[in-house]
Amino acid sequence: MESMEQGPVEFHLEPHGPIYAKGKLKIIDSKGNVQELEEAYFCRCGRSQNKPFCDGSHQR
Amino acid sequence: MDEQNREYTNGEITVIWQPSKCIHATTCYKELREVFDPLKRPWVNMNGASTERIIEVVRKCPTAALSYRWNDPEKNKLQQEQDEKVRQAMEFSNIPKYMPVTVQVMRDGPLVVQGSFEIYNEKGEKLKHMTITSFCRCGGTMNPPFCDGHHRKIGFTSE
Repeated sequence: MESMEQGPVEFHLEPHGPIYAKGKLKIIDSKGNVQELEEAYFCRCGRSQNKPFCDGSHQR
Repeated sequence: MDEQNREYTNGEITVIWQPSKCIHATTCYKELREVFDPLKRPWVNMNGASTERIIEVVRKCPTAALSYRWNDPEKNKLQQEQDEKVRQAMEFSNIPKYMPVTVQVMRDGPLVVQGSFEIYNEKGEKLKHMTITSFCRCGGTMNPPFCDGHHRKIGFTSE
C-alpha cells in the first residue's frame, strides 16, 4: 500500500506544449518494451522525433 | 440515451456502442476484427462471429462503450441478475482499488492511460480524477487532450 501514500499520478497539460506526467509510471511501447519512470513529457503535437516523448519540435 | 449511440443485432443479442464513452483503446478490433472493423461501415458486423465470442470481447471493453443485451427479455433479466452478483462479489474481494499507472503507447495511435491519475489544465487547475483515458498524440483531435480517433483520418504514423 506504499504507492497509495504517493497519491495519484498527475498529468499536466502544458500550454501549447506536451503533457507532463509526474509520479510512478510504467510506460509500455508498441513493441511491448516496458520502461519505469518517475516523470515524463509526452509529445502531443505529433512532430517529435523521439516519440512518445517531447523533443521541443512543437515550438519549431 | 445519447442519439449518437448505435445498436447492432444478430437476432439473439444486441450490441450497443456509445461513442461518447469510447476512448479508442482498440481492444475490440484487435481481438475480433471479423466483427469490429473501424474501417468498415457499419463498423460492427454481427455475423462475423458467434454470439458467445462477441459477448466475450464486448465484456473486455475497458470503458463499457460497448455493451450488449439479450433480445429475449427473460434471458436478459437473468443475465443482469448474474452480473450484479458478480459485481457485488468483486466489491468484497481483495482486488485493490488503487492501481499503478500504466501508459500504453499505441502504434500510430494515442496513449492509453490506466490506473489512478489526475489531469490538470494549462492553468494548473485540477480537471478531474480518472482511471482510464486515452491522450491524443497526433495533434489532430477535436477534443484535446483526449483521442477522438482522428489519427486514422490524418494518417498519423508514430514509428
